[in-house]
Amino acid sequence: MTESRVDLDSEKMGRDLVALVLTVVELLRQLMERQAIRRVEQGGLSDAQVEEIGTTLMLLDQRMQELCDQHGVRPEDLNLDLGPLGSLLPRE
Amino acid sequence: MTHPGPRAQDPVAQTATYVFAVCRDTRAMNTADLTALPGMPGGAPLRLLSSATLTAVVQSVPTADFTDEVWQQRLSDRQEIERYARAHHEVVSAAAARGPAVPLPLATLYHDDERARRVLDDEAERFHGALKRIAHHAEWGVKVYGRQKPPQAPGATPARPVAVGAGPRQAPAPGAGLAYLNRKRSVHQGRERRRQEALSVAESVDAEFRQLAAASRRLRTHDASLTGDHRVHVLNATYLVAEERVDELMRMTRTLRERTDAQIELSGPWVPYSFVGEV
Repeated sequence: MTESRVDLDSEKMGRDLVALVLTVVELLRQLMERQAIRRVEQGGLSDAQVEEIGTTLMLLDQRMQELCDQHGVRPEDLNLDLGPLGSLLPRE
Repeated sequence: MTHPGPRAQDPVAQTATYVFAVCRDTRAMNTADLTALPGMPGGAPLRLLSSATLTAVVQSVPTADFTDEVWQQRLSDRQEIERYARAHHEVVSAAAARGPAVPLPLATLYHDDERARRVLDDEAERFHGALKRIAHHAEWGVKVYGRQKPPQAPGATPARPVAVGAGPRQAPAPGAGLAYLNRKRSVHQGRERRRQEALSVAESVDAEFRQLAAASRRLRTHDASLTGDHRVHVLNATYLVAEERVDELMRMTRTLRERTDAQIELSGPWVPYSFVGEV
């Protein structure tokens, strides 16, 4: 076993962990968003309900960005390469 | 060479037989073709190793340089792995310049010449099959990139980098929720539409090339983060094309470029690494 294969940079590990946690949160956020959009497209919701859903999602999106900013994580860092399955979150 | 003996005590002296490519025995392969090439870093001069019906291009390399440990580490260093891959490819290309040669994967290593020769004999049928398949054929790589993301419509707010964070968050204006939903919906729809378009272009390009090729393989598309290339890579395929059909290949590529608005990158001719089977 060679030394350089064990990375003991705790600051980097902390950052990686934050990025991983935020990635999972972002995945859930995007799933919720999609589900909500589908629900709205199906119709049957009142205007007030649609507005409330939209506002909630918008605030969640903003909060997510704030968290990223606070931890110095770029939006494009919030992703995982799943090998042949592609990436966890859609890329632009 | 690596039998237990006085030399085995000294790890520096231990060598293994690195095999680059396998050719037919009958071909006019000459060691002189190879002496100008260094081969693997730290290896002895390149040489030919003959079995009953095949000739392999080989090199004695220090065993210590090719242990799993060392190789694993090398794999994570892109510059280092590139150096080895280029060295490997140079030798393979030189071997293939004279006639069909089955390229072996990077870091194909045998304990000694005897083991390597035994593999050549045991697998002779498969090697000859592969040599027959790739004779007078070359590999051509085709990469297709989808249309770029269309420029943001004037006045539209960018979907992701919203200017927040500066100053305290304000209560959302009435209608902001609905506007947000609509914006997100059009982002999703746009992405889905581009994906569909890109996939259908990829399928039709692949179908056209397959008609012309003797064999084809689809490879995994590249990840943008690895190459720093932000185009959407929708097709990564490789085709085994007969020498006499190369003109057709060029023409078809031009036609397809005009017909679809996708970017089609053609590369080759390559030694047919992808079409020699598991040898």
